[in-house]
This record gives sequence, C-alpha cells and structure tokens, in this order.
Amino acid sequence: MYRETREEGFMSKTTLSRRSFMQAAAVASAAAAFGATLGGCTKPSTVEVDDVDKVQPATEADAETSGRQEPLAIPDYDFYTTSCHGCITTCPVKVYVKDGVVRKIEGHPAGAENNGSACVKALNQIHTCYSPRRVLYPMRRTGARGAENMAFERVSWDEAIDEASDKWLEIFEKYGTYSMLSTTGGGGAYVPAPMLPAVSASCYSPNAFEPGAAQCFLPRVCVTQLMGFKMSDSIADNEVREPFKGFSKADKEAGITNDCEVLVLWGTQPSSSQTAKAGRAMAELRANGCKTIVVDPMLTPDAAKATIHLPLRPGSDCALVLSWYRYIFENKLYNEQFTKYWTNLPCLIDPDTLLPILATDVFEDYIAPTPDDTPVYICIDEETGEVSPLPYGMPEDVGVNPSVFGEATVNGKSCKTAGQYYKEEAEPWTLEQAAKFCWLDAAKIEEAIKLYVSPHQNGSDGGAGIGHGVATDMMECSSQAPIGTAGLDSIMGYIQMPGCTLTLTGVGAGGPGGGMGGAGLSLDSTNKWGKCIADGAQPRPTQSETTDFGIGYIMGATEEANRANHDSFASPEQDCFQRIVLDRLGVSNHRGLAHWYQSHIPAVRQAMETGEPWRPRAWLDTSGNKFAMLGSAGAWYNAAMGNVEYVVHQYPHFTSFDAELTDMFFPTEEWLEMWNPGSSQLNIETPCGSIIHLGEAVDTGRPYSRFLQAFYDKANQKLDSIVFNGTGQTLAEIGVQFPLVNVRSGSDESNKQQRIKQGAALLGLEAAEGESITEEQYRQAWKNNPVYKVSTPSDEYWTYGHYLVLADDGLPYGFPTVSRKVEVYCTAMVRLGQTGFPYNWPNGFDSPVDERIATFHGTYAPICVVPKAKETPDVGAGFEDYVMDFDADFPLALTSGRRVFFHHGTMRHAPYSRELYPVPFAYINPATATEYGISDGDWIEVSSRRTQGSDYDPSRAGTERAYSGEKKQDTKTAEPIRTIAYVTEMVAPKVVFMERFWNPECFDNSQKTKTGGWAECGVNVLTNAVDANFNEAFGSYTNRGFAVNIKKSTRPERVWVTPEEFEPFMPTATNQASEEAGSVMGNPALLTDVSSFDPVEVPASAGGPGGPM
Amino acid sequence: MSRRCIVVDLDRCSGCHTCTVACKFENELGLGNYRCDVIDVGPVGTHPNVQMYWLPIMCQQCENAPCVEVCPTGSSYRASNGVVTLDESTCIGCKSCLTVCPYSDSDGRTRPSVRWLRSDTNTVTKCTLCNHLTQNSDGVENEDDTYDVDHCVPPCVHNCCNGARFFGDLDDEKSPAAKAVAQAQSQGRAVHYLEADGAQPVACYILSKDVAWQGLDNSCVLYAKG
Repeated sequence: MYRETREEGFMSKTTLSRRSFMQAAAVASAAAAFGATLGGCTKPSTVEVDDVDKVQPATEADAETSGRQEPLAIPDYDFYTTSCHGCITTCPVKVYVKDGVVRKIEGHPAGAENNGSACVKALNQIHTCYSPRRVLYPMRRTGARGAENMAFERVSWDEAIDEASDKWLEIFEKYGTYSMLSTTGGGGAYVPAPMLPAVSASCYSPNAFEPGAAQCFLPRVCVTQLMGFKMSDSIADNEVREPFKGFSKADKEAGITNDCEVLVLWGTQPSSSQTAKAGRAMAELRANGCKTIVVDPMLTPDAAKATIHLPLRPGSDCALVLSWYRYIFENKLYNEQFTKYWTNLPCLIDPDTLLPILATDVFEDYIAPTPDDTPVYICIDEETGEVSPLPYGMPEDVGVNPSVFGEATVNGKSCKTAGQYYKEEAEPWTLEQAAKFCWLDAAKIEEAIKLYVSPHQNGSDGGAGIGHGVATDMMECSSQAPIGTAGLDSIMGYIQMPGCTLTLTGVGAGGPGGGMGGAGLSLDSTNKWGKCIADGAQPRPTQSETTDFGIGYIMGATEEANRANHDSFASPEQDCFQRIVLDRLGVSNHRGLAHWYQSHIPAVRQAMETGEPWRPRAWLDTSGNKFAMLGSAGAWYNAAMGNVEYVVHQYPHFTSFDAELTDMFFPTEEWLEMWNPGSSQLNIETPCGSIIHLGEAVDTGRPYSRFLQAFYDKANQKLDSIVFNGTGQTLAEIGVQFPLVNVRSGSDESNKQQRIKQGAALLGLEAAEGESITEEQYRQAWKNNPVYKVSTPSDEYWTYGHYLVLADDGLPYGFPTVSRKVEVYCTAMVRLGQTGFPYNWPNGFDSPVDERIATFHGTYAPICVVPKAKETPDVGAGFEDYVMDFDADFPLALTSGRRVFFHHGTMRHAPYSRELYPVPFAYINPATATEYGISDGDWIEVSSRRTQGSDYDPSRAGTERAYSGEKKQDTKTAEPIRTIAYVTEMVAPKVVFMERFWNPECFDNSQKTKTGGWAECGVNVLTNAVDANFNEAFGSYTNRGFAVNIKKSTRPERVWVTPEEFEPFMPTATNQASEEAGSVMGNPALLTDVSSFDPVEVPASAGGPGGPM
Repeated sequence: MSRRCIVVDLDRCSGCHTCTVACKFENELGLGNYRCDVIDVGPVGTHPNVQMYWLPIMCQQCENAPCVEVCPTGSSYRASNGVVTLDESTCIGCKSCLTVCPYSDSDGRTRPSVRWLRSDTNTVTKCTLCNHLTQNSDGVENEDDTYDVDHCVPPCVHNCCNGARFFGDLDDEKSPAAKAVAQAQSQGRAVHYLEADGAQPVACYILSKDVAWQGLDNSCVLYAKG
C-alpha cells in the first residue's frame, strides 16, 4: 500500500538520522549529515556566500586515484522542430528520432515564452504516444455496455464509418434531428476546435457542448469582450501577453524589456498549469523585480513565491473584488482621468431600463456631434452639478467634466450614475467585512490593494494588472467576478499601457486592426457563422472574425446597417440555423452560452434522462473522458447509460467513457503524429509536421468529418423522412439538405498541405514556378533545422494606446462597445439578460430571464455583485444575503486546480506522471485532519450531497430549470470517492484541495475485474452540475467551493499507487488493443512510414472554408 | 581539477519535477528509480502565515566523495574531468556507497535519495551530470545544436521550466553555474552547500532573500508528494 510506503518515507528521516550518526561516529566527522538534522539533533552547517572561497578544492591526487575517462555517448538522432500540444500553450520543442522512433523531446530555446523549457507533460508525450494502451485501430463494442463487460473488436475504417452512419440514420429517421448530440473538450492535441458546435449545427441539431466552456474561459472571454476588450484578462489562454514581454531571445535582441511592476494572479496558477510557458514567465517576472499578488485558496507555487498571498475561502471572490472597489473609491485611488472619459461609469442610468440615458431623450433638439453609431449619453457635470450631455471624444474635446458618482433627477426619475451603482454595491464590503467573509486578514487585503494601485499612484512608467484565471468560471460567480476584475484594471487605467495585462499586441504592424484584432475597431466585429451557412455562403463584408455576435450583427454599427447585413443572409438555411441557436437547451436563461453556441450541460443531461423536451440519442464525442470531466459524473452515468442509443467516440486511448458507453471507437493521433498547427508564441513562429505514425490512427480532424460525410450522403437520400424538430417539418418540406453548415475538419489533407506551405515559408523553401513544395522536400529541409521566425519585429509587436488612434470619423477608435468606451458597467450584460442581445439578434427572446436567477434588478449583473452561494462552510452570521445554506453534514469547502503532471483529463496513463502523482491527493490542513482523526498518508473518503442522495427542496435551487423533484438516483455511482490525505498548511482549515482524476488502470487487462475508473478517485463525482446555483449568464455549474465531508477510509480496489504498479503502462509492455505482440515502440508492424501513410481519405466536400472557432 | 556541478536557484524552482522526469528519460531509469528528485520544504508556519519552497536534489559532487572511497569495484569513481560518476555496468549492488553517502537512503529505495538502488537491475544509479554528454562541455548551450559536445548540458538543466538550474564548472567564471553564483553574490543572496560529514559538496543552492532557509530539520517534508 502506498500509505505504508509513505510511512517508510517519513520513517526514513529517523533511519537517516541514526545511520548518519553511526556513520559520523565511524568516520569521526563532526559535520552534520543531510539526514542527521532531520531528527533535530544537530544544526545543518551552512556555507554561505562569504565562505565560498573557503571551500577547499579536492586535490589533484583525489582525481588521479580514481580518475578515468568516461566514454562520451552522443546519440546520432535526427531532430524536428515542432510544437508541443500537451496543453494549449503550444511550446516550441525539438523532437529527436532514430530508426523511426521518437527518443527524446526537449524545449526549443527560441520559444518566445518557454525559452527552451519543456514540462513533464511535454516530455511524457513519448509514453503517451507509445503507450501500450494506445488504441491503433477502429474498434466496435461487441458486448453489453459497462466496463465490467468491456469487449471490443477491431474493424476496418470502412466498416466503422458505414456502421456508425447507418445507426445514426436510423435514429434521425425515428426521432428527428434534435436527437443528435456532439461534444468535445479537453484542450491540447485532442480537440479539433473548429468542429464544435458546427457538427451539431451541420445536422440541424442544437445539442452541443464542451465542459471547458461555461466552466472554463467562456465567461471571462465573453464578459471582457462585451466590456470592450478584444481579449480576456486570462493569463493562461494565450490572451494576456504583456507580462511575457522582454524575456524572449527576439525581444532581448531588440532591447525590449519588461514593464510589469505588479501582477495580480486571481485564481490562476501558471507554474502548475502551464509550467513551461506561463510558469517560466512568472519565474522571469519575479526575477525581474515584478511584485505579485496571488488570490488563491491554495498555496500554489506562485502563491508561495508571491509578494502577497490572499488565501481566500473558496467561492468568496466577488466579496473580495468589491472590497477592492470600495477601498479604491473611498480613498480616491483610481485613475480619475481614464475613469471619467474612457469608461461609462459617469453615465446616468435609467432605473427602469438599467441602460444609459441618451442625451436626445433628455434635451429636446439636442444634436449629437458624433455619428449615428456613437451615442451621446448624459452625466452630471462636476463643475455645475447639472445634468449634461457627455459626447464621445478626446477628453479635452468633450466640454464636460463628468462626475463618476452621483444621483440626479432626469425626466422626473431619480437616476444614478453607473459609478454610483458600483459604489453602492461595494458599500457593505469594508475590509473587515470582506476579511470575515473571505477568511482573510483585513490588513493583508489593504496591503494588496495598495500594492496593486501603486504604479498609478506613483506615476510609474511601468504598469500593473490582473490575470484572471479559471477558478471563478467554476462557480456561481463566473460572470460577476471577471466583470469585477476587468473593471478594476479599467478604473485604474491599466489599459493598453506598458506592463498592463489588458493590452493588445501587434497593432503597430497592421494598423489598429492588426494583431489580435485591434482594440479600437468598433465597426469590424462580426459573426463567424457568416461563413458557415452552407447555402449562399459568402464572405462577410468585414474580415475580423473575433466575436460571435448575432447573425450579421456588427457591434457598434447602426440598427439599419445591421438589419441590411442580416437580411443579406435570408434563406431557409438561415431560418433553421436561427431556430437551433434559440433552441439550445438551457440557453433561454443562460443566454451568454450563445457566445460559443453552447448548450447548458445540466439541461442536456436532464433531457437525456427525462426525454424532455427531447432526448439526445446519437452522441459523437471527441474529447478525453466525459465521465471524468463532466460535473456530477454519477448523474451523467445514470442519464447516459440507458438512454443514449449510439455513441461514437474518437481519441487515442480508451477512457472511462469507452469502457462504459462507447459503441464505435475511432482511434486518433497523438500530437507527434499530427499535422497540427505550429507554434506562434508571441511574435515567434515555429513549424510543425507529422513526425511518426502508429497503426491506423488518424488525425483528429478526419474521423468525424469522414463519418459525417458518410452520414450526410445517406441522410440526403431520406430528407422526406427526417424531421427538423425546430419546426416539425421534414427537411424535404423545408427544402434543405445536409449539412446545414460546413464543418471544417481539423487537419485534413488540404490542411496538411497548408502546414507544409507554412513550414516551407519558415524554412525559406521556394517552389518552382507553378509547383508547390512536396512533402519530401519539406521533410528534408525540416529535418535537423532549428528554424524559427520572428513574425513581427519586437518593436512593432509591443504597442500601446490603440484606443487613442484616430478613426475615419475623426474620433479616437475607442473600444468596441456601443458606447465606444470601456463598459465597466457592462450594458451588454443588461441587454443579454433582457433579450439575448447581441447573440440572437434580431430574433431575441421575448421575455427577460427568470427573475429568480437574475442578480441585478431582474437581469444579468453589469457590475460585480456577490451571487448567492449554494453550499458553503459555516461563514457565520450576517451573510445571509450571500449564502444559501450551511449543512453541518458537509462542513468543508472543496477547491481544485491543476497539478503539473496533467492537463485536463490527460496523462492519467502516463507512467512517469502517475508514479509521481498516483492519486489526486487531498490537501487538508493539520487542524482539520486532527478534528477528523486523519493522519498524513491515510486513505480517506470524500463525500458531497451528490454522493448522499438529495432530498432538498427544489425551490431552493436557483434556476428555472430547478430540476424539481429530482432525486439522486440510488445507484453504484453514489459512493463517496477515495484518495490519500496530504496533511499540510498549504490550505486553510475546513478547506480540501483535490485535482480531478480518473484511473485507467481500473479497466486495464491486467485487472481481474474491471470498472470504468471514474468513480474511485474522481472529484467530478462530487461536483454540483445538478442543482447548483448556476451562474445567471453562462449557467456555469459548481466545480469549486462546494461543501464536502471527509472521513478515514481504505484503499479502493484496482487503483494503482506504487511506481511498480504502473509497469503495464510503460511502452515496453505489449499493446492491449492490437493483435500484434510486443510493445508499440519497438514493433515494426505498428510503425508506419509517415510519408506514405494515408489510410483515410476525407472527401473534399467535408471540409468547408470556415468554422466557428 | 574542475568543480563541475548543478547550481539551483531556489527562488526560481517551483517543484515541477521536470528535472526528475527529464533525467528518467535521458538515463532510461524506468519506474521507481530516480537520480534526481525534488523535496517539498514546508510549508513552515501556520496557515496563512506560511512559507514554502522546493529543494531539488541530485548527487552533490562531493570533493571528498566517500562513495568513491568505499566502492569495492571502482564503479563509483571520479572521472578525469573531476565529476563523481558511476559505471552501472560494473556495480554489484553491494550498497557500500549508499551507506556512506550522506545524501542517500541506506537502502537506496526511499525517496529522497541521491543514489538509488535500481529495482530492475539491483545496481546503484545516480546523477553523473550526464557526463556521457557533457564531459567536454563549458555549459554554455549551443541553441542550434543540443548535442554540441563543447556546449551540451544535462536535460534537467535544459528543460527546467523556471530556468532554475545552471550547469558548469564553478572554477570557470564563464560557465552558467559560476555566473549564477556570482550574480547571487552581487545581489547579496546566500549560496548554500548541503555540507555533511566533511564531504564538501560542490553542488550549491542560491537561497531566497524572502523565504527563510529551513535547513533540513523537522519542518522539512522529505517526501515528494507533488
């Protein structure tokens, strides 16, 4: 047992001590030994810096007595420059090959952010790729579903595609198009991002989701975009770039230095999450003198190294955010100039519409000095105290000194400024009150705020900013928290300035529209779907595909212009498309899901379970392990197992999802095999390509696109018998056919040619007149070439103040919002809650969202508010407005986060990761451990309401979809999970930290009996995607900050913990899912010559020109 | 004779175990065998007033290396470039070196231990500074050619996710290791040797100014829990 090993590990301290003492006596040395100090017996001797020269060098004689020449063993490998796809950061790497087998991976020194580093995930790709548990051929389930019966047989690609498409056609004919569901997720190499949600849309179905949307990134990227930034403040998603400046070889050569003086990491942990890239940047930043503030319940590596760590109670983020506002407002620490003229906080708000009041509605005959697409609102003039128009323009030109705070009577109504709303919302959150609610020290909060505002207060050349991580995406506050943090940076004026996180790059190179789309282009945001409509597809009139607003809608254009734009798309297909957009399950209340065209995941699960309003029956999934990665995994298991009729899954390995549910499995490549995109870290580009190939695995883009094409071909013969459930008509009656939208395959043959073209350009290869570079030519030039390219010179890449550049209308570009300012008071959130604007424009919802889910005067909060938490530990009296209930049965709060060894659900079968992190250790404070009688290294069980049965009053659930009457099903999945306790001061008392997990060893052939491996240690058995207080705008369910209990337990069956147990996962073992004996790595039968490998031809028609993501 | 070693900046190390894993791949160690490791030190104190850092360990390249003295087969030896190294092919697994090495578990089977008794071969393994690659290297990497014999560095150094490891000869002021020490000195940061039993280790650690060095007393967590 691991626990025994652990005890030996701790006992070894004494062992070492005793032995060292004996040894010390024997050699008559008085010096302290490494281990001797462990017993506290002697003090370690330290040779400090001053003593360096006093260390006596060994004599030459020492060397001579034993000295001999060690043989030099430089391997004769070839290498290829490519990029790791073990997570989303695409670090440039070099991959070394000999005899067709990858021998070594290392970081590429030219990587702009990784600077030569490669993390354990990158290195372990060798084991993942050559895993004996790779599935290298299409597989068909031959027995009953359920891991215990796990039986598959190898089939040909043709058989697999034919059979799966037949099964789908049967389901479509019987139940209509809404019976189809497509899902993805996972990140890294495995996600053909363009496919979702276009796959379901192509089949006239609204059912599509990935768990990494509403629970990861979507809320942050959506609200920041709606506030006026073409990027989020996420430091971990290739969004925030400014803190990474100045550390790359290219930047150093250009004399570019870093300007980031203070960086706040709010619920993000770069050193654990994206170790080689963002983690490396953190190390460089700190070494450069940048001060950091880390807001995280866990003592992450970045927290341990922070200037100030605020280990807040999981789930209390918004209260802390508001305490910062309160303190900054009260002490006038904000950037007054920026707040007055470049944010909408001075605007007077109509209390009925909750929107800014137009000057023309107040002042008769007022003629706006700005064009129709740039509204003039009203404010309170600080000089006169009177209500005044607030025209848009450079501060010196607008002729008014607007007050950020205040109240005035307008048209007979008492109206507050947007700033006043914020001030009042923050009013309860004094430092002391926030400290009490968040379990923090008030003085520490104050210290952090003072540090955060210091660059502005000091008039420094450098900047500050908040990097906002995934943590809040996984809680009730997924919309309110990032609105709050992006707003903080805004009122500080930390926008588009050196050293500030909310700063775009590359603008200098391509004008204001360059780089990430530019900051100030209020007229070029358009809808990516424009290119997807199959019939009559045409390029949008504007080119910047950076937002996902309503059909044809351009943020900032006039109503008239948008209407004309929309009408240009009129067609039966467009009607069907708009119908399915509105019909996405759960979107009627959680309207922000439309930003990425997602369904609300709990609503899909409920539909699967109840058949209402329709049941998804044909499921295509392209991610790693839905049973491990979806919240409330037990409920998902119960919903899916008996109700989904046919499941197709593609992935390089069998996961729990396959062990339990999949009917047809399509094997896909690992990133060493793919023609995946190369890396573009900052302004550095590196090439890529397929380096090796195994079995019949294919690129992630191929299986589903070929499968779908086969399905379309068959279904188009049956259009009169397939019903579009959106209208109840058959497709023949509507006059449409499959596909509704084109699905861009991730990497089909044309994509390969595109990669070769890109790579050839990087390599400086030029094709002869009328010819293109062949793969062979490319490979020859690519091999042993450390090539990289500076795509934009560093001095043009790092640019600032884009909003001040003058646009065609003579006004500064400003920000892409209706007001052309940063909307710290996010009017789009108000309208989103009221009508679904801008996503479903012009066919919005008829009524506002259910008031029970709304947190701001009946609609979505445009500012940071503290939403009610469903489950919390005991926070004491006085917080009843913010906490739903405390349940003494579950008195602890669970929080989560990545460990360095894994990305999402990946790498659980990578033996070198698992031997170092075999189970998702439960980090528990010693005081809590003592209270529960738990010792370090004990196996414990962790339970939540999801494992105990639910008898809660559904009216307490916060949404329209309250899942009323739903009871936890009494199945095997309701068991608490088990793991090993790590008793440590890294977390506060009453807090438990665990990483999500699954255990592929549970269905390994070496086991006598099998399970799916998702229920033993999987945190998602505990998370709440059933009756959580789903976030109002995005429906985010609760993966963190919910209530759990713990108690001492025993090791579960089948779970491996000691290094030796993982031997079946080593690449030396025989492949489990192939007929050839021997390991994958050394088996010539499984090694395919990449240059000749092309087992699956994807029909050209499956690849369309556009894609939603 | 040169004083080749790895220098670690403890302000940079975040305990990510890239060194551990890069070493396992380079030296084909298999499961359960380690030449380098990372110790979680702390957290020291009581939440929220805690401090923590990570202490990577590897063969300390002792100037008075007891392992060399006691090895009955000459498997542990000091190579001609001064590196304390080990020839596994002649090791008989007698554990003599484990007994005298102040940084190793006496059975070589419990982490952390800089010398390790391999479960698969029953021979001892340990960090050789990848002398099979680096013996002629000045430690200054050739970015275009990892295997340039004049500039090769151990993969644990190359891949370190925080730029925390520096390789080279401390007596060569141009080596990254010596430069790192010199820079630390100029910044007033302490350079610490894990001195033990008069072994006079060459490997050294640049300590943090902000996080107190804990020595290796009871507050150290000597099990790599990730």
